[in-house]
Amino acid sequence: MTGAQTLFDGLLVLLLVILAWVLLASKDLFRAIVLFISFGLLLALAWLRLKAPDIALAEAIIGAGITGALLLVGLGRLGSAVRCRPLPVRTTPLQRLSAPLLVGLLLPSIAAVVLVELFTLPIVASGQIKLVAAHLEHAGVDHPVTAVLLNFRGYDTFLEMGVLLLAVLSIWSLDRARHPFARDQIPAALLTLQRLLLPLLILVAGYILQRGAQGPGGAFQAGALLAAGIILAALCGHRLPPGHQGLLLRLALSCGFTTFLLAAAVTLARSGVPLLYPEHLAGSLILLIEIAATFSIAFLLAAAMAGGHPVPEAKPTAIDERKSA
Amino acid sequence: MTDAILQQPWFLWLTLIPLGAAILAFVLPRQAHLVGFATALILPFCALLAVRQGTLPHQLFLNAGGWDAPLGIALRNDGLALVMLAVTAGVGFIISCYATAYFSARRHKPDRPHYFWPLWLFLWGGCNALFISGDLFNLYVTLELVTLASVALIALEGGNKALNAALRYLFIGLIGSLAYLLGVAILYGTYATVDLGLLGDALTNTRLNHVAMALMVSGLILKSALFPMHFWLPQAHAMAPAPVSALLSALIVKTTFIVLLRLWFMVFPALDLVVTGQILGLLGSGAIIWGSLMALRQERLKLLIAYSTVAQIGYLFLVFPLARGDAAAAAWTGCVLLILAHACGKAAMFLVAGTIHHTAGHDRISQLAGAGGPVGVLVVVFALAAVTIIGLPPSGGFFAKWLLLSAALATGQWFYLLVILGGSLLSAAYIVRVLSWAFLDVKRSHYPVIPWVMKWPPLLLAVISLLFGLIAHQPLQLALIDAPVAGRVMLEISHAR
Repeated sequence: MTGAQTLFDGLLVLLLVILAWVLLASKDLFRAIVLFISFGLLLALAWLRLKAPDIALAEAIIGAGITGALLLVGLGRLGSAVRCRPLPVRTTPLQRLSAPLLVGLLLPSIAAVVLVELFTLPIVASGQIKLVAAHLEHAGVDHPVTAVLLNFRGYDTFLEMGVLLLAVLSIWSLDRARHPFARDQIPAALLTLQRLLLPLLILVAGYILQRGAQGPGGAFQAGALLAAGIILAALCGHRLPPGHQGLLLRLALSCGFTTFLLAAAVTLARSGVPLLYPEHLAGSLILLIEIAATFSIAFLLAAAMAGGHPVPEAKPTAIDERKSA
Repeated sequence: MTDAILQQPWFLWLTLIPLGAAILAFVLPRQAHLVGFATALILPFCALLAVRQGTLPHQLFLNAGGWDAPLGIALRNDGLALVMLAVTAGVGFIISCYATAYFSARRHKPDRPHYFWPLWLFLWGGCNALFISGDLFNLYVTLELVTLASVALIALEGGNKALNAALRYLFIGLIGSLAYLLGVAILYGTYATVDLGLLGDALTNTRLNHVAMALMVSGLILKSALFPMHFWLPQAHAMAPAPVSALLSALIVKTTFIVLLRLWFMVFPALDLVVTGQILGLLGSGAIIWGSLMALRQERLKLLIAYSTVAQIGYLFLVFPLARGDAAAAAWTGCVLLILAHACGKAAMFLVAGTIHHTAGHDRISQLAGAGGPVGVLVVVFALAAVTIIGLPPSGGFFAKWLLLSAALATGQWFYLLVILGGSLLSAAYIVRVLSWAFLDVKRSHYPVIPWVMKWPPLLLAVISLLFGLIAHQPLQLALIDAPVAGRVMLEISHAR
C-alpha cells in the first residue's frame, strides 16, 4: 500500500460521504437521481479498490445504471403532479417531531454504537474463501463467485430469480405500461447512438455471460446489459409486435426462473436433494441456467422500466424483443 | 412405488409446487384461478405426507445442492417447520376456496384475479421456503419474497388508501429487512457462516454479538408489527381485499415471528438475553392492552379485527420472557399453539367480514344493527371464530393461553399472568360489542343472496378453531420434535379428557 493509494482511498471515501449527503439534501429530485447515479459509479470504484470486481461490476450496471434509470422513469411518471407540493394533511406535533427525532437522534446513536462495536470485528475476515477454493474443482466452473452463486448457494439464487419475476408481476398488477416518446419525437442523435451501441451491447453481454465461468461476470451483469439494449431500442420507437405481448412475453419473462425450478425439481425427484448436479454435468447445467437467466433478466429489467402490464392495441409496451434475440 | 413417494422430501415440495404453480398462473392468466385452486387442493396432501414423515424417525437437515452447512444451505425439517407448513396448507386451502368465489362475485375489475393467483402462489411458496430455511441469508431472501408479494396483494384493491397502505408496508418491510441484513453481515464477518446451527454453537456473549442481535431483532419486530411498531398494520390489513386480509393476518404476520423464534432459540442462546426478553415481554404486554383498547374504539369491522391482530401478536412475544428453565417447553408449545389457533380464528373473522361487506355493502359496526337474516348468520360465524381469540375452552386459543399461563406461574412472573387474563377480558369486550350491535332490533333491509362458497369456508375455519383444543396434543407433540427447548409441558388438561 503506497501513500498515493492511501490518499486515493481517503479521497474516495470523503467524496462518497459528501455525495451521499448532497443527494439526500437535494430538493430537486432530478438532480438527486443524477447524483445517485454518480454515487453508484464511485461506489463501484470503491468495490474495485476492495478487490471485489464482481460486486463492482454489479454495482455499476445494476446499482448505478438500472436503478438510476428506474428512478428516472419513476420521476417521469410522477411528472408535474408532485412538484414538491406539500400534501394538505393535518399532523399532530408529535408526528411533525418524529422525523427530526428519528433522523437526528435515533439513527446517529444506532450508527455510533454499531461503528464503535465494529472495531472488534476481526481485521481480515477471510469468510469462506478457503472452503470455496477447496471445493472449486467439483463445482463445474472455475470462478469462485460463480461457483457460490450457481452451485454452492444456488438455492438462494433460485429464490432471487423468483423475487425478480415477482417484482415485475407486482409492477404489472399496479398499472399499465406507458411510452417515453411519441414516435415522431425521437431525437435524431438517439437513433444514431442506437445504431452504434446496440450491436456493441449485445456483443459485450454475450462476452460477460461467457466470461462468468472463469472470471468476474455472469448472468446478472449480462442480463442488465441486454436490458439496456432493449430499453434503448424501445426509446427509439421499436415495439414488441402485438402478437408477442401475451404468452411469448410472459414465457420470456419467466424462463429463467422456470429453468432453475425445473433443475431443482428434477434433481429433487431423482436424488432427493434439490440442485444436486451430477459432477460431469455441473458445468453445462450451470451454463444452461445462466443463459436462460440472462435472457429472462434482460426482459424482466426492461419490463420493470416499462412500468406496467402491456396494453394490447392502443399502447404497445416499451419493450422490443428484436434486439436481444 | 409407494416407498419412493414416501421417501420424497415433501417439506421441500411444499415450496417448489406453489412456486411452479405461480409461474403457470402468470403465464396463463386466464386459467390462473384453475391453477391456483388445483394447487391449493394438492398442497394439504403434501403437508400431510410431510407431517407423516416428520413423526417417523427422519433426517433433520437437507442440504441444498448437496453441500454441507458452512458452504451450502441447510434446510430444516423440524417440528416448528412442519407445524407451520401444515397450518399454511390448511388455512391457505380454505382461503383459496373463498377467494375463487370472492373474486368472481366482484366482476367490476376483471383482471384482478389474474394477478391475485400468481401473487398468492408466490407468497405461499415464499412462506413455505421461509419455514424450512436454516440459513440466515436464505431467510433474508425468503423474507423479501414474502414482503414483496404481500405489498402487491395489499395494493390489489386499488385506490389511494390501499396504495398508501401498501407503500407504507413496503417501506417498513425494507427498513426491517435492511436492519436484519446488517446484523447478518456482522455475524458473517465474525464467524464466516450464516448457518443457524453452526452460529448457535459458535456464538459467545460479546458486545458485538449483542449489537447484531439488537439489529436483527429490531428489524424483525418492526416487520411483525409489535407494539409500538404496529402503526402500519391496521391500515394494511384492513385495506386489502378480504381473502388477502385473511392471509396477511392469519399467516404472513407470523412469518417474521418464526424467524425471530428461530434466532432466539437457535442462534442466540449463548447471549445473556434476560433483559432483552423482558423488554420484548413488556412490549408484548403493551401490544395486548393497546391493541385491545384500540379494537374497542373502532367503527369499522375490518379495522377492529386488524387491531385484534395487533393484540394477539403481543401474546406471541410473551414466549421470550416466559421460556425459562423448566417452563421453556410449555411457553414454546403455547406460543406455537397460539399461532395455529389465531391463524384459524383470525382467517375466519376476516373472511366473514369480507362476506358481510359484500352483503351489506359496508362494514360499519354501528350500521350492522339488527342485521338479522343472512348477515345474522354471518355474525354467528364471527362469534364462533372469536371464541378462540378470546381464549375460551375448548378452543385452541384456550389451551395456548393455558400453557402460557402455566409458564408464567412456573417461572413466578405474576405480571404476565395479569396481562394474559386482562387481555382476554378486553378481547371479550370488543367481540361482544360487535355482537351486541348486530342483534339490536332495528329495521331489516334487503340483502343480496350470498354465494355458498363465501359462507362455508369461514364457518369451516371457525368450527376448526373452536374444536382445535380437542386435538391440541397432536400439534403440540409435533411442535416439540427437535425443538430447541427442554422441560415439562403440562398437558394434564388435554390428557384428562
